[in-house]
Amino acid sequence: MKTMVEARNLRKSYKRADGSTIEAVKGVDLDIHQGEIFSLLGPNGAGKTTTISMISGLVAPTEGDATIGGHSITKQPMAAKRLMGFVPQEIALYPELSARQNLAFFGRMYGLGGKKLSRRVDELIEFVDLADRQNDRIDTFSGGMKRRVNLAAGLLNSPPLIYMDEPTVGIDPQSRRRILDTVKLLRDEQDMTVLYTTHLMEEAQELSDRVGIMDHGEIIAMGTQAELTQQVGEEDRLEITTGAQNVGEALTERMQQDIAGLTRVLYNPPEPIGENSGESTPARLTVFAKRGRTALPQIIQTLDAAGIDIQSVEVREPDLEAVFLALTGRALRD
Amino acid sequence: MRSILTIIYNDLSIYLSQRGNLVGLLVIPVLLTLVIGWSLGRIGGGGPTRLRVDLIDLDRSDLSAHLIEELRAANDALVLCPLDNDADDYCRLEDEPLDVDRAIQRAHSGRTRALVVIPAGYADALVDFRTVTIDFYSRSDPMQPGPVLQGLNAVLQRTSSASMTKGVAAALLDNLTTAAQLPALDEETRDSFLNTLYDRALQLSTEQPPAVLFRVADSADDSEGGIDNGFNQSAPGMGSLYVMFTVLGGMAVLLRERRQWTLQRLMALPLSRAQILGAKIGAYFTLGMIQFFIVFAVGAAFGMDFGSNPPALLAVMAAFVLCITALTFALAPWIKSEGQARGLVLLLSLSLAPLGGAWWPLEIVPEFMQTIGHLSPVAWAMDAFQDLIWYNGAFPDVLPEIAVLLAAAAVLFAIGIRSFKYE
Ligand SMILES: Nc1ncnc2c1ncn2[C@@H]1O[C@H](COP(=O)(O)OP(=O)(O)O)[C@@H](O)[C@H]1O
Ligand SMILES: [Mg+2]
Repeated sequence: MKTMVEARNLRKSYKRADGSTIEAVKGVDLDIHQGEIFSLLGPNGAGKTTTISMISGLVAPTEGDATIGGHSITKQPMAAKRLMGFVPQEIALYPELSARQNLAFFGRMYGLGGKKLSRRVDELIEFVDLADRQNDRIDTFSGGMKRRVNLAAGLLNSPPLIYMDEPTVGIDPQSRRRILDTVKLLRDEQDMTVLYTTHLMEEAQELSDRVGIMDHGEIIAMGTQAELTQQVGEEDRLEITTGAQNVGEALTERMQQDIAGLTRVLYNPPEPIGENSGESTPARLTVFAKRGRTALPQIIQTLDAAGIDIQSVEVREPDLEAVFLALTGRALRD
Repeated sequence: MRSILTIIYNDLSIYLSQRGNLVGLLVIPVLLTLVIGWSLGRIGGGGPTRLRVDLIDLDRSDLSAHLIEELRAANDALVLCPLDNDADDYCRLEDEPLDVDRAIQRAHSGRTRALVVIPAGYADALVDFRTVTIDFYSRSDPMQPGPVLQGLNAVLQRTSSASMTKGVAAALLDNLTTAAQLPALDEETRDSFLNTLYDRALQLSTEQPPAVLFRVADSADDSEGGIDNGFNQSAPGMGSLYVMFTVLGGMAVLLRERRQWTLQRLMALPLSRAQILGAKIGAYFTLGMIQFFIVFAVGAAFGMDFGSNPPALLAVMAAFVLCITALTFALAPWIKSEGQARGLVLLLSLSLAPLGGAWWPLEIVPEFMQTIGHLSPVAWAMDAFQDLIWYNGAFPDVLPEIAVLLAAAAVLFAIGIRSFKYE
């Protein structure tokens, strides 16, 4: 198996305005194999964008290095950059220009010109299905259309490797579906290597051959989905949403002691959604158990006795969410 | 190199595609150049200078008419009001009668260069060889007589010497008649003889060119301040001002490019940082030169002078634009918001421009302000433009100014390139 991207001990610290430093990435090692979709999964602020910025040469690492197809991104940036396409988290397009003008400009920057350029632009506009709007200004596009042009701009040089940083943020379900299908198409039909970052467990689950789970600037687990879920064992996960009553530590400890087969009980109190929407996420109790369905009646009984309202119960097989929970004690939130 | 040109071309076409930018690049600077140019001088600068002079003839005699004729002939720049008023009311009489009081008021306020009053009885006094007073009102310094007074003096000198000839001849004639005991001439013959003599004397003194010919352009009193054409000041001045507005505005654009991630996308391309930076510098330098050309084109349309050394003029323009581009890149890294950038652009442009003499020539401000003014790059550019445009200077004359502007550019670029934010 050929390695496309190899990162060793990547670190990045930023100086804050008040003079303190923040370590956005704390020693990341990565191996991305040719032809695979590798996902970096982690909540906002985990350091995904910073990592991708370092391995694409946008940001100089404070420490460490990465090679792209064997070329060091810090020492031979030109050779390394020629192998990659880049789809940033932001819509990195000129809003005053049309979709076609944007693609033509970035295509020219790759040295394309004349017939070759216009053919490649045609192909990509067709690929992201925007032929009818190609001459409209980007700032008149919907979020989903902008995302598609943003993606096309990363494919102009037909690179063997593409980075996509949260390419589905802020768009409608159809556009998201379309982009996810496109990503699989790139791997399956064009044999491209994809580095895909997301904070959504479902996306990582659907797309990835291998996943790196990132939190607080570190990769806390890495492997195929099967390897990762094995890390949490054969445990089931029970997701119980509860009422406003506070579930104290005493109660969770008692449950762990009294009910057979429980390995871990986590409580996430309600949290406000957004800045000032007034709404909040429901309180959530996560219970890991050897045989979840068997333990369920006893769990409900205990909660009932403690006066806790139960709004819903869900039994989940092991998944990436469970891995993240098991490793960090927190939920990956949408 | 090709990528650099592609980026410059792309940045410029985005800039020019925005209607708001065209207002700042084209409409306002052109209008301001016109207004300032017209305010400082005459339209076009082709025609002769005209001096507005009120003339009130209370005598209305042949001799006063003669004096007026002489005055016109003495200096063709004089426009005698109300006699020589034109259809455009150059005299600015606004169809009101001109009496002595109003005329004195006009001379006092500087609306006219001078007022000449020919008193009633002027002709009689002249004939009788009596003293006669011609009233002259003007704000100009009597120690440095202006062209009007000089013209009037020349005319009066000739008129009075002719009149003196006549007086002396009359006395001579009378004495001769008495001494030689000749029969007295009858009144009519005597008058006719003396008048012929007077006319002949006047003719002689008029045909004889005066020793000094007063030209308006030679006059230190000319309140146009030595500017032959207002556009010689307004085009370089407004050009410098708007180069600052346009190029410094790049601070906000650089910030936006970083915010909208197009700068980062460029950096993910196989381009060196030097190429990206060079292209961005090139784009704003080109924009500044375009701005200068637009404003100078307006000046050219209205007869502005460009001096005799176009390469030197281009070099001064380029050095100034480069200096302002460097200032833009030195400030850009510290800018946190587009509002902040806009405020800073206004502050810098509107303080550096007047300080450096973009609106009015620095020559007219106190000396300490001229010294302070040279903190502004505009002052160095304007000095060089004056050398070339007003005084027809050559390349070596403006080398010091170019050197100062380039040195400032080098320092500012060093700061800007070091702290340029790619991330
Ligand atoms: N330019 C920067 N200056 C200071 N802090 C930064 C900068 N970029 C990112 N960070 C910080 O680094 C951390 C990781 O950010 P990021 O890589 O964007 O995370 P993610 O993409 O996973 O959401 C965050 O805490 C963020 O605030
Ligand atoms: Mg991110």
